[in-house]
Amino acid sequence: MLKPQYRLKETSEQKANNGFRTLKRVSTLLSKQKGMLALVLLMVVFSSFLSLFGPYFIGKIIDEHIVTKKQDGLIQSIMILGGVYLFLSLSLFLQNYWMAAIAQKTVYSLRKQLFEKFHKLPIRFFEERQHGELMSRITNDIENVSQTLNSSMIQFFSSTLTLVGAVFVMLSLSPLLTVLTLTIVPMMYFGMKWITNRTSMLFKEQQRNLGELNGFIEESISGQKIIKMFSREKKVISEFQRKNETLKQSGFWAQTYSGFIPKLMNVLNNVSFAIIAGIGGVFTLKGLISIGVIVIFAEYSRQFTRPLNDLANQFNMLLSAIAGAERVFEIIDMEEEEDNKEAVHLPNIKGEVEFHHVSFSYEKRQETIRDIHFRVSPGETVALVGPTGAGKTTIINLLSRFYDPDSGQVFIDDYDIKRIKRASLRQHMAFVLQDTFLFQGTIRENIRYGRLDASDKDVEEAAKLANAHSFIMKLPNGYDTILNQEGSGISQGQKQLLAIARAILANPSILILDEATSSIDTVTELKIQEALQRLMKGRTSFVIAHRLNTIRNADQILVLNEGRIIEKGTHHSLLKAKGFYYELYHAGTGQYNMS
Amino acid sequence: MFGVLSYLKPYAKWMILAWGLMLVELAVELWHPWLMAKIIDDGILKNDFSVVWKWGGIMLGTSFIAFVAGIANSFTAAHVGQNFGFALRNRLFEKVQSFSFSNLNQFPTSSLITRMTNDVTQIQNTVFMSLRIMLRAPLLVLFGTVMALFVHFKLALILVFTIPILLLFLIWMMNKGMSLFKMVQQKLDQVNEVMRENLAGMKLIKAMMRGEHEQRRFIKANEDLMKRTIQSVQIMELSMPVLLFVMNIGIIIILWFGNMNIQIGSAKAGEVVAIVNYATRITSALSIFTFILIVFSRAKASAQRISEVLTVNIDLSDREEIHHETTIKEGKVVFEDVYFQYPNTHAPVLKNISFIAHPGETIAILGATGSGKSSLLQLIPQLYDVNKGRVLIDDIDVRDMNQEMLRKEIGFAPQEVLLFSGTVKENIAFGKEDASMEEIMEAAKHAQIHETIMKLPNAYDTMVGQKGVNLSGGQKQRLSIARALIRKPKILLLDDSTSALDLKTEAGLFKALKSYTCTTFIVTQKVSTAMEADTILLLDEGTLLAKGNHECLLERCALYQKIVQSQLGNEEKYIC
Repeated sequence: MLKPQYRLKETSEQKANNGFRTLKRVSTLLSKQKGMLALVLLMVVFSSFLSLFGPYFIGKIIDEHIVTKKQDGLIQSIMILGGVYLFLSLSLFLQNYWMAAIAQKTVYSLRKQLFEKFHKLPIRFFEERQHGELMSRITNDIENVSQTLNSSMIQFFSSTLTLVGAVFVMLSLSPLLTVLTLTIVPMMYFGMKWITNRTSMLFKEQQRNLGELNGFIEESISGQKIIKMFSREKKVISEFQRKNETLKQSGFWAQTYSGFIPKLMNVLNNVSFAIIAGIGGVFTLKGLISIGVIVIFAEYSRQFTRPLNDLANQFNMLLSAIAGAERVFEIIDMEEEEDNKEAVHLPNIKGEVEFHHVSFSYEKRQETIRDIHFRVSPGETVALVGPTGAGKTTIINLLSRFYDPDSGQVFIDDYDIKRIKRASLRQHMAFVLQDTFLFQGTIRENIRYGRLDASDKDVEEAAKLANAHSFIMKLPNGYDTILNQEGSGISQGQKQLLAIARAILANPSILILDEATSSIDTVTELKIQEALQRLMKGRTSFVIAHRLNTIRNADQILVLNEGRIIEKGTHHSLLKAKGFYYELYHAGTGQYNMS
Repeated sequence: MFGVLSYLKPYAKWMILAWGLMLVELAVELWHPWLMAKIIDDGILKNDFSVVWKWGGIMLGTSFIAFVAGIANSFTAAHVGQNFGFALRNRLFEKVQSFSFSNLNQFPTSSLITRMTNDVTQIQNTVFMSLRIMLRAPLLVLFGTVMALFVHFKLALILVFTIPILLLFLIWMMNKGMSLFKMVQQKLDQVNEVMRENLAGMKLIKAMMRGEHEQRRFIKANEDLMKRTIQSVQIMELSMPVLLFVMNIGIIIILWFGNMNIQIGSAKAGEVVAIVNYATRITSALSIFTFILIVFSRAKASAQRISEVLTVNIDLSDREEIHHETTIKEGKVVFEDVYFQYPNTHAPVLKNISFIAHPGETIAILGATGSGKSSLLQLIPQLYDVNKGRVLIDDIDVRDMNQEMLRKEIGFAPQEVLLFSGTVKENIAFGKEDASMEEIMEAAKHAQIHETIMKLPNAYDTMVGQKGVNLSGGQKQRLSIARALIRKPKILLLDDSTSALDLKTEAGLFKALKSYTCTTFIVTQKVSTAMEADTILLLDEGTLLAKGNHECLLERCALYQKIVQSQLGNEEKYIC
């Protein structure tokens, strides 16, 4: 069987606290539907009452009609009993019916909160995490909550109700015996505590491992081409098995421990009965209580322990749900990318951009850009040039506030961009990013992503400008061709054409082209270049390109190396200077010119 | 369902053990009322304490046995459940790894992920549960009915008629539930898909300020999921009230006929009471059924979804591999009248392509966007099968070679770079499993990325990929090239994998490549790269428009002249 005990990381105190807080938050969510919950509770009370009344009435019928063979009134009694059962079934149905809605609405809002939260987190968050792991929180963790809410809530209500009722009846029969019966409660408490201390952590461990596995699956399906190409299926499978094994271990212990609870309760039931029979017997001998009381009491103590048993079982499911919910709240509680309180909304901008001694690093230890300082007048085109890793994309990241500088400031129209609302800032920009990303949906929808209220004609117009129209028309359904996962089915260069069309449609004040044409052949590029020139006219544009002939017309070329601006000027002035730019330029064209 | 359940076979012994342990528990549980009655009747009522101690002791003893059996059952059930889930996940993952690309396109990625985690968990929990409580309810029902038949045959017949009808009802509900829950899982897939897309495209969404638009999309998927779940659960919740009602009506009928039988003297009061008693017990056992029912129908839906994946036909050619052991020795590549069309599309992307690449040659592939350059490259390692014609390596049709042997000698750097979560070292060594640190560093140096790596926080042990540090596009491309170079391939495929490199770095890379003796295919946009090649293949809308070296094409081919013009253009005049 399975070997080592799972090592538990957090202290149990801390754990229990967290669990309680999570539970409270889930119930806050539930309480948003107070009215419905009250109805469900009412039905639970109603059905509990009816289900007690049913047996009582059967007893009455037996006493009056079976034992005494009387027939008058039998039909009447039976009709009443039938009515009781009809209402019992009805109230049971209604409580479950309503509860399903309450539970799912709660889970719905939990999913919604999580999703909305994702949109408020800084980009850094996503660059440091596996997508599949994050997805697991929706599929595996929230689903855990969902199933528990569906099945356990009502049990929880009705068990608690029966429990309270049973204690009252027991108290009225014999306070002394009640106290004796309740002696199992501390035992139960410690037993449960021992078990739940383990299970709650194990459940969390299990959910975490499941998340990791989910992340691994996502990556290896996305990377299928590489895996196949390098024939690494075996390695990936064995890696999967290792992660799967870890999941199995935590799952095994979580399930095993959680299976202990009903067994513990069974033993305690029997202990409780033994206590009543044994000590009760002694009491009868001394004449303290009557034998009849013991008999009834023994029966009621079962009434007492049964709901306790149920509660204990539910408790376990609850713990697994808490483990799931905790992982969701973990994200929901993360620090958001918030706008400065005094941040303003800019309805229009001229497009003047200034970087004022800006330094920034992604990782603490290594500075990515250092003391970047430049100024762009409205309508100018700026080209960022330099070796890979020189910090070109980083400048774009800072300009669009995906990241904030460590020191220095970025200004647009003399506003420090930290004082502009992110939404307002980006509204004036359009991007063609290095990693072209297309969504599932039609080509038309993907282009329209640039401006949601664009007409079909606008979309086609933009596609024509981007030189994408002709290839789109060759597709089986033209603009209505559905691109499946991340735009597979069309080539990388065609994806870039669509991304350009998207930016054209957006019609921004500041245009950002980060390697926008890197996968496009040069003949097509020449054609787009014309459209891009027209597009860039009157707008401040930032262009990153390695094919230097595409940026010759830039008003300003910033040459970056190792995070610093080392040269600045126009194409001609830089070539004349015979510096770094000159070298870069000739690395590409030199050989050809010699031949 | 049964296909999936066959993964339980290896654990048959454990399952029998679990059920055996459960029976021990059940026996003790059924015996206890009798013991209690004995303690009360013979002990307490008669004031005989020796009886109380004796039976009380036995009761405690047996409940201890039941406790031990219960704990052991918990262990075995968890063992079976977890191992079953483990095996199923492994099998699923292996299956997906063997998928061809058109197989992969049959399922959205998010759906495959849900199937491997959420759906397996559903079944796994059901197995665990069934090993612990499933037999209990049927046994209690059976036991109760048989006892009732012994007490009064005619009256008990009412139960005998009612219970099968209820069982049929439950089975019908279960099938209904299965199709309902299958739809729920589909909706879950959709939620997952929107989520996945958003995570992958977050930067663009933020840049374009389309958060609200995406949230609307998500809300729709989320609402669909909610509505479906509510609907399914609500329908399923109908079963318990119906079941209770029918059983209770049964009890009323028993009371009615009981009264009549007593009138004519064919039943005793005690018998009627006993049968009513059994009927109530059966009712409570049956209501556990409802719970089992919901869990089972969910599991059945999940099992079907898993079967769908497991039974997919792998549609890559399964030709007899004639040359099992053949590896690529020379690296000669020949295309003979190749036609290729992606699965499930209408038009071929490559038409009538023929060329010969001799060992050690460098072949540049040029052509407009969408002209079929990447597609051509992908046929060499047989990522796809040709529709017509042949691809030969060292004069052997690639379809006759063992795929692993074939790909072992091919290095590939794709257009879209993908790194896995892991260290730089691991990512480069992905190309060669047993690579030494020297080899890794050598490959990195040749790919012009060594110096950059040394500047990373933990050098070669820095985490990259989805969980890693921020690398620029060009840095990622060079890591991907290093991954291809480390295997010292006989055939190297570079699919526009230097597009984000500056010209200086690129020149360094090509210089380093000269030390490799391999046939190299380079998809490129740059004439400067193409010039260096022995042969240039110029593609136009899927056909091979021209082949030859730079001078030859420059002389003969109008499109090539146009391409050269587009890159040098006026500049020519300026420099010269």
